[in-house]
Amino acid sequence: MSVAETESRSSNTARSAVCEGNEAAAIGVALARPDVVAVYPITPQSSLVEHLSQMIADGRLDADLLNVEGEHSVLCGLQGAALAGGRTFTATCGPGIAFMFEPYVRTPGLRLPMVASLVTRDMLTPQCVWGGQQDAMVVREAGWIQMHCETVQEILDTTVMAYKIAEHRDVMLPVNVCHDGNYLSFGVTRVEIPDARAAEEFLGPASINWHVALDPARPMGVDPLTGGSGGVGPKTFVRYRKGQCRGMQNALRVIRETHAAWGERFGRYHAPLIEEYRLDDAKYALITIGSMSGAAKDAVDTARAAGEAVGLVRVKTFRPFPVEAMTAALAKVERVGVIDRSVSFGWNAGPVYQETLGALYHTGRPVPAISFIGGLAGADLTAEHFARAIAITRELAWDGRPREPIWLNEND
Amino acid sequence: MGTCFSTLQFRANRCDGCGDCMTACVQAKSSNGDGAQSRIRILPAAAGTGYELALCRQCADPICVMNCPSGALAKNGTSGIVEWEADACVNCLLCTAGCTYAGIVYEADIGHVTKCDLCAGDPACAKACKNGALEYRTEARIFNAYGDKEDLFCRGLSACHGCNSELLIRHTMRVVGPDAVVAAPPGCIPGMGVVGFNGQTGAKVPVFHSLLTNTATMLAGVKKQYDRVGRKVTAIALAGDGGAADAGFQSLSGAAERNDPILFVCVDNEGYMNTGMQSSGVTPYGSWTTTTPVGGAMHGKRTEAKNLPLIMTMHNCSYVATASTAFLEDYYAKLAKAIEAAATGMAYLHVYAPCPTGWRFPSSMTAEVCRMQVRTNFVALWEYDPHNGLQFTHAVDNPEPVENYLKLVGKYRHLSGEQVAHIQRSVDDKLAYLQQLTRADAHRRIA
Repeated sequence: MSVAETESRSSNTARSAVCEGNEAAAIGVALARPDVVAVYPITPQSSLVEHLSQMIADGRLDADLLNVEGEHSVLCGLQGAALAGGRTFTATCGPGIAFMFEPYVRTPGLRLPMVASLVTRDMLTPQCVWGGQQDAMVVREAGWIQMHCETVQEILDTTVMAYKIAEHRDVMLPVNVCHDGNYLSFGVTRVEIPDARAAEEFLGPASINWHVALDPARPMGVDPLTGGSGGVGPKTFVRYRKGQCRGMQNALRVIRETHAAWGERFGRYHAPLIEEYRLDDAKYALITIGSMSGAAKDAVDTARAAGEAVGLVRVKTFRPFPVEAMTAALAKVERVGVIDRSVSFGWNAGPVYQETLGALYHTGRPVPAISFIGGLAGADLTAEHFARAIAITRELAWDGRPREPIWLNEND
Repeated sequence: MGTCFSTLQFRANRCDGCGDCMTACVQAKSSNGDGAQSRIRILPAAAGTGYELALCRQCADPICVMNCPSGALAKNGTSGIVEWEADACVNCLLCTAGCTYAGIVYEADIGHVTKCDLCAGDPACAKACKNGALEYRTEARIFNAYGDKEDLFCRGLSACHGCNSELLIRHTMRVVGPDAVVAAPPGCIPGMGVVGFNGQTGAKVPVFHSLLTNTATMLAGVKKQYDRVGRKVTAIALAGDGGAADAGFQSLSGAAERNDPILFVCVDNEGYMNTGMQSSGVTPYGSWTTTTPVGGAMHGKRTEAKNLPLIMTMHNCSYVATASTAFLEDYYAKLAKAIEAAATGMAYLHVYAPCPTGWRFPSSMTAEVCRMQVRTNFVALWEYDPHNGLQFTHAVDNPEPVENYLKLVGKYRHLSGEQVAHIQRSVDDKLAYLQQLTRADAHRRIA
């Protein structure tokens, strides 16, 4: 797909383009000027790394390209580059992240501020190459920051912001910028592209390996065994784990600050942690994540027009989970219906639902809630599905017992 | 460090008393009219069986020199040879009284003492010995060249007794030098504490405890960034065979295909010795391991080892070689080439590391086990680069039967005659295959 570029009249943007979500991510990456980009194809991510490879081939992006033989090596090569001080990027999804899992879980512990797109795809098995967020949910406890985008523009902007967040000294954690496979990866819209110099100024110089490095100029042993099953070994381990948790909690603040600074600089304000939509006077709400939120907002508008007091909360930042922001939002409503594009097998529900229940605890009151599961394996979530979810949520009453989930596409 | 010298080595167990060395010595020395008796003498051993040696040991603190009242004997500080000067000698023979090795004796025919002078670094006796009982060892120059370089590991690596991996990595890193990044995947090498705590323990250079699966690519990433910013850094892997041939193979193969500029040293102890002697893809046929045990229904590993170094030549590496710590000069020559190659392309060194703990042999025997691997052609020493192809660096033309090697190693103790014959056939076949490759590459070079 080619970029249709036009000169923009806006003072905040150098140009605009019409492109798919994967290309928007690639444009965002180019604005962040990474040193090393590692690539390996997998549907529906492939066009993202193809765009980047072409940019490098054309000389439009001055980065070194690491063509490797699988996702495992993708991340390992980038870890090496990051430990040598390089800013890095890659993209993956689904089975790719499963193969990448070994170095993936190691990245946050090394506190490497890497950025990788996760073009969400449903997990095997059954065999499936289509969208779904099971991959992101499977790795939610790996320690990466996860930000889920709703629009193509948000992908571009969040990809640049992700570097600022990851490399913040109070964070120093890797970031997955997630966008839905198919719906966002191949969905084509117009995007505004920030001026390259402005983006560079916004990010500042790369800050990658001041704390951990493989550098003969300052030799150190990286990741020795913590040693022994008692005393100083586990104590050291706890220090690392607590540090990771602190970095995650700091990220909640840094994500907010970064989104605010982006808005000031480029005129586009995206919700940093959660987005509240028509919530203030709502009696009940839907909770959504990712690209489904657009259709869900339309359904809310339709219901509102029919007199329903329904609102919506979109989760943008899923890791760290914005407990306080969610609690404050949930305090406004009496009933919630949570729509997931993935499954928590252990809870017979969706993962976002499960997390929402955790936040509901902090409201200090019993709130009837229900889990909707839809959009698996690329299924479309339409206004009709959300209308059904709104209708069911409206009728919820507290009975203290877990409910069966509603599978929205079961009878499509 | 003090200066080290080349020397004659005598292995009594290989001496059959033929006397060829003495004949060669007489010929060498009588040709210039200086004596008719051999300066090396092979004598029936005092113990009753076998032979022993009467020869100047070129002592570090020579009694003969101390006894000499006229300054006719002196230790040469450069060559290490105890030199005798005819003009200064007063024929008092006090030197002969001091020597317990019968290394300097009076020769009546010419009227003065004679002693071995190592034929100026090319001793005739060693060349004449067909059994390898006498060998002129020149490894000393390695210590002279590298002994003063900084050891890039702290003291106190906790390798098992008799392990040659510690020796290997200390030698290797002295040559590679401090502008290096080391990656050590799980195994004996980090197990002995190479990935330590910031120069207080372990390596003094940047060192990463890489994954078993990712070492080559991780280093490729390190190197890519340093190349990008124009810094010269050697990216070196010190990996076991699991991290190279098994779980690490995909990463290694990918890096080799890309000819990533890294130096990958595989320290092959033929299995997972650090985790308790389990079988790997390079564990040889017949080996006892804890996952290829010996019992009524199973008699050690049932399949052959994969030939990883040969597989590496089928990639796009700039340099590939096998090496043995019993042949350190050979290793040093290869290491120098590998370091040079790794500046711009992939260099792969496959070094054999017999494991006293896991293979069940006495820790004092490691060097001998290494040597016997080569002398039986169980291990072939060769090198490969795309221009010159594959070439032997230490061809063994009259190999000992492989049984002589197998009987040194406890993990083969259970082998039946049939299994030993199988291994001998396999050794012969693999050697023949390598010979074919070297011939084909030689033709190609000539063409």
